[in-house]
Formats: sequence, C-alpha cells, structure tokens
Amino acid sequence: MALEYLLVLALTVLVPVLRARDPNLSLSRRRRDLLLTFLIVVPPYWLWDYVATARGHWSFNPHFIIGIRVFGLPVEEFLFFPVVVFVAIFVWESMKFFLRER
Amino acid sequence: MEYTLAAVVSVAVVVGLDVLLQTRILRQRRFWLFMAIMFAFMTIVNGYLTWRPIVLYGDGFYLGVRLITIPVEDYIYGFGLISASVMVWEWLTGDSARRRSRATTPGPSA
Repeated sequence: MALEYLLVLALTVLVPVLRARDPNLSLSRRRRDLLLTFLIVVPPYWLWDYVATARGHWSFNPHFIIGIRVFGLPVEEFLFFPVVVFVAIFVWESMKFFLRER
Repeated sequence: MEYTLAAVVSVAVVVGLDVLLQTRILRQRRFWLFMAIMFAFMTIVNGYLTWRPIVLYGDGFYLGVRLITIPVEDYIYGFGLISASVMVWEWLTGDSARRRSRATTPGPSA
C-alpha cells in the first residue's frame, strides 16, 4: 500500500503529538527551543540522506511510498527526521519527569 | 562500507559535540536508560520498515550484519541522531543553558 511508510511515521508520532501539551512536560513552554533543535539537527541528516540515496547506500520500495520525491528523496524520508527528533525529545522529557525527585 | 563509516563518523561527531557544548549527556546514567528505551522502539519500528521492506540497503555499502532484519549500522546511525536531538535540546533548555544565562545576567547590584 502506497501510504504505508507515511502510516508508520504517523503511528510513531501519534502518542507524542497527543501528549505534547501535558503540563508536566516542558515541551509546551519551549516551542522555540523545539523548533531550533529541529533546525540544527535535521538538515545535516537530510543532506546525509540525499548523498547516501544518490550513492546507493539505501533505496525505497516503490510499493510503500506515495511516489512524490524531492531532490530524489521520497517525501516520507524528509518527514522521518523531524518525527524521530520529536519522539526522542518527548521520550527524554517524559523519562525525566518519571525519574524526578519527589 | 560507506554507510558503516558514515554512521561511525556521525557518532564520533556527536560524542565530540557533547564535550564541546559541555552538555555531558553521555555521562548521565539516565541517558543510557533513555537510549535503551529508544533502541527498543527502534527495533520495532525499523524492524517493520526493513522487514516489509520499505527501505532496502545497497550491497557493499554496509556490513551485512543484521539484528533480525535491521542492519547494525542503523543502530549506530540511530544512536547518533537520537543523541544529537537530546543533546541540542539540553544545550538549549537544560542545566548548562541555565548556567550560561546566569553567568551573563547582571547581578542585583548592577
């Protein structure tokens, strides 16, 4: 199914997006820092992905992507990095909350 | 083994950044607990992506060693990406950021 890769990304980010506004997590108060983190971390990985894909390090099964490409990369691949960064920060902040001293 | 090399280099960069930015994330025990959790998620999600397969790997660019369907390089790569995310986030919002803002904020007598 062409939507499959997108669906995997959506499912991965679902819970973090739904819980992002939880007042126990600092995320809602730190939107600018979150954006800045994306701007710093994501572009180098986009670049790496572009070069790796061009050189053949990896490729994408046409059955599972919607078929729109930008600079040779499936759009899903561009979405992959913001998703991972967001999930990582969400899990990190959640963990810090659970481990906090009471 | 270009992918292998690139992945290892990315981790070296991230380790270097941890020292440079003085975030010292890699020294925290809770970071390694966090990474274990993320690796578990990665195994599920990336396991699915590589099993379908939604993503395929070019021969000669990776070692060929896989955990189930996942190339080991993906774990190295993932470690780099996830560490970088948390590191930059902490650099912007964490203790080191608070220390920096205290150091540059004028005192009460100013």
